[in-house]
This record gives sequence, structure tokens and C-alpha cells, in this order.
Amino acid sequence: MKRRNFIKSMVAVSAVVATPMVLMGKEEAAKAKRKGPNDLTYAAAVEAITGGKEVKDSQKVKLTVPEIAENGAVVPVKVEIDHPMEESNYVKAIHVLSTKNGNVRCVDVMLTPANGKGYFATRIKLSTTQEVVGLAELSDGTFIKAAKSVKVTIGGCG
Amino acid sequence: MKRVILPVVLLLTMATAGEQFAMSDADRAMYKEMLENNPADIYVEEGGELLEEQLGGEAALAKFLGVSEKELPKYIAGFPRYIKKLGNVVGIDQVLQAMQVEQGKEKYKLKSEKMFSMLAYVKSLANDEQIAIDINADKYIKASYDLGKKTFETARGGRGLSCLSCHSKDIVGMVLRTQPLPDLGEAGAGATWPAYRMTKSSLRTLQRRFQGCMKNALLKVIPIGSKEMVGLEVYVSTLAQDKKQPIAIPGLKR
Amino acid sequence: MAEKEARKSMIKIKPKKYKVGDIVKVDFIVIHPMETGLLKDKKTGKIKPAHYIDNITFSFDGKPFTTMKVWETVSTNPYFSVNYKVTGKGKITVDYTDNTGEKNSKSKKLKPKG
Repeated sequence: MKRRNFIKSMVAVSAVVATPMVLMGKEEAAKAKRKGPNDLTYAAAVEAITGGKEVKDSQKVKLTVPEIAENGAVVPVKVEIDHPMEESNYVKAIHVLSTKNGNVRCVDVMLTPANGKGYFATRIKLSTTQEVVGLAELSDGTFIKAAKSVKVTIGGCG
Repeated sequence: MKRVILPVVLLLTMATAGEQFAMSDADRAMYKEMLENNPADIYVEEGGELLEEQLGGEAALAKFLGVSEKELPKYIAGFPRYIKKLGNVVGIDQVLQAMQVEQGKEKYKLKSEKMFSMLAYVKSLANDEQIAIDINADKYIKASYDLGKKTFETARGGRGLSCLSCHSKDIVGMVLRTQPLPDLGEAGAGATWPAYRMTKSSLRTLQRRFQGCMKNALLKVIPIGSKEMVGLEVYVSTLAQDKKQPIAIPGLKR
Repeated sequence: MAEKEARKSMIKIKPKKYKVGDIVKVDFIVIHPMETGLLKDKKTGKIKPAHYIDNITFSFDGKPFTTMKVWETVSTNPYFSVNYKVTGKGKITVDYTDNTGEKNSKSKKLKPKG
């Protein structure tokens, strides 16, 4: 993945969305919006996960991301949930989302008590400076989350 | 006129970029942790398999180089070095190529992914060793070092840039497009390539990295394995050697 | 469709020494382009079609303990790490598919000491 091209293409997407909409009919605008294969807004993605239930910001979600990404195409993300992992009470899922990517979803991880801990780590692409969100579903059906901003800059040589 | 102004502009940009975009220590620690899960580990493993299948593994390599298997790691830490059989100061990749020729095998290109993998594996055998290039060992390595140093310092291309333009002692720590310019020795450049380059999503070697640098700085790109390139690798490796940076392959680079 | 070679991948268990009851890290790394479908091929100038891993299942001796739905926003040559509470000797398997229907699998033995 070339970061610069990736960012360029993401910028192109937002430009298409932002500027010529006045000149288009509704249908055309909707078409123009769908550039990536799985485009989805942050609100819609959260709605799809929670079914409209409340999501509380929680200290129990420990989200580790860099403050400044060395490279927007490779941003390390670590989510740890301070919650039991027992048969009757466990972390059911961890979702990693971003707020401004064309497709805000990154990974949905379905856990089981066999994991022993509510933990997940990966690396994601970020098109621009935005928030990364760690959203957890507990076995009692409640949702908790934490969000952190990551600065993405075009940096360094090549 | 242009030639003079551009480097000056570049330097000014570097100076005024300021600290605000420099990464914090916590961020650096996080990226360091990524070394534990370096995608290049897969290429290194593959390189080991290729060496085994293609050329007969470490035993064959040691035999070709005329050292015992036990001495191999320390000997590898001394590359690039003068190999009498080949009549030149060469990198590990050129030794592997020579072995392929000797055994009548398909010769991997120096710039191929397979060669990068194999080179990375062989150099990783010397992990935790100090780089051990003795530039006074013979006249050939001395000449190679001198040519490398000259190549490093010679301004070339449309903008009149040299390696030194960004890597002189005077500007270490200045921020160039969010990246603090490293001291190449302190950063262990010679000891941490081949590395996984995140920007390229692939395993890259030191000489391949030099090429990328040259291309970006609008210098004519020198071929991998040429006298100048090998010299550059010798010179940059000795910088890490001076700072006693241990070999740690594969590295992980932005 | 042309025949595809198995992908290069790796499972790491951390720490290296563990016993029954320990919670270990299971790290999975795979060489995969994770194409977004937004980038042009530099040589042809055509947009490269989306090509990304979309489903992953972590199992122990055939019994899944973690499943993942993955999107193209995950980095090239991706890395996925979860915990697993060691119950005994056996085999960790990671099965993964991508959006082109390509299926692959990687396994590693789990050998607790004590």
C-alpha cells in the first residue's frame, strides 16, 4: 500500500463528494459518494453494530494508538477491555472503527470466554487525521467505547 | 541560480517545521513494539528455506566462504568484504549469486524479492553481533570505503544534493516532514537493513533504500551491486559500527 | 480463475514458554495486498480492484474461539493479535478467506509445559 496514493485517493473521494453535488441530481450524488467498495459513515456503522443502543464512553476500554502516525497506511491499534472473561460474563466483541475513512469499519472481533482476556491488536490505514474508536460489546448487551485522535501527516522521504 | 537556492530552501523548511509534529516517546515505543510482529519475519523465514533448498543452507555458505559454520555469524557481520574468489569487495547478495552460478542454479537478480529474502536471512544469522568491517584489512576494502565515503559526500543531480545534505552531523535532529533526521550511525542504519518498509509494504535492503533516496532527491540511481553502492554500504555500515549498534534483522522502517 | 499459491503467513505464540492456564498472545501475520479498490495501478493506469481478507477464524483443535470480520481499511500484510487461555496440548488454526473467495489456513502447535 502506498500511503501517499491512498491519501490522494481518499482526498479525491471527499472532493467528489463535496464540490459538484450542487450540479447533480440526488441519484448521481449518491452514486458519486460510493467510491470505495464498502463505504459507510461512522454513525451508520455504529448503528449497525449496536442496533441503536446507547454506547457509553468508558475507562474500561483501554485504547492504544500513536498520537502521530509515522505512516497513515500502517497505524498500530491495541484495544484492551478491563472486564471478566467468564462463561456468564465476558467481552463478546471488540470493534475497531475510524471516524473519517471512506469505510469507517476496520475489524469486528467476536470473542469467547476461551480468549481469557478482552484484547485485540492490529494495524489499520487512516486516510487523514481522525479519531480511532475501540467499541466493545459485553455479554449483558451493553456497549462501551473509547476514542483517540491520531494525527496523520505526510512525512519523511519517499 | 536554481541549484543554489533549492538546498537552502530545503534546509529552511527543515528548520522551521518545528517540534510540534515530532513523535512522542510513547509513540516511538509503540512502533518499536511492532518489531515483534514484523511482516518481514515471513520473508526472512522464506529466505532461510530458499538458502536451504537452493544452495544447501548455512553449511554450503560457510564452505563457499572458507569458514567454519561456527565462525559464520561473525564473518557475516564483516560484510561487505573482499572475497578473493570473486576479486572484489562484495555484499552478501553477490556471494549468494556467485554460489548460484557455481552450482548451476538459476541466478536471482540482485533486485529481486527472493534475493532480498535470502540476503535478509543470511544477515540475520549475525543478529546481536557487532558490525565488524575492518577497513584496513586490505587495500580493496579501504578503496571501497573511500569510494563509499566519496559517493556519500558528492553532490549530484538537478538539485545538487548529496547524502550528506540530509545526513551530516550538523543537521541531525532537525525535522524534515515530521521525521527527525537521524544520525545514521546512532540509528544503526547499517545494522537494521534489510527491513520491512511500511511505505512500500515490503522487505527492502540497504542498497535498495539508497536507490529510493537517490530517486527522491533527483540523483541518478546507481545500480545495486555496483562498486559505488557496495562502497556506500561499507561506509554507512561503519557508521553503525562506530556507535556499536548490534545487528538486528529484519528491521522495521517507516 | 488461475491457480493460486498458498499465501505466506505466520502464527506466533507469546511468550514462548507457557503452561496450562496461562493466557498467551496468538499473533497472526499474513502477506496480503489488502487492496482498497481505490488505487490505480502505476503501470496500467487502471484502478486495482478491491482485494482484501474479509473473514478470519481462530480455532483450537477445530473449535473456533475467535472470529473476525475484516475490511479493506486494515493495513497491507496485516497483523491480528488475540489472547487465548491455554487448556492443554493441541493445535491453533487460523482459517481466512478474502473477498475473491480465496481460502487459506495456517496452523501452529500449542505445547504447554507443566
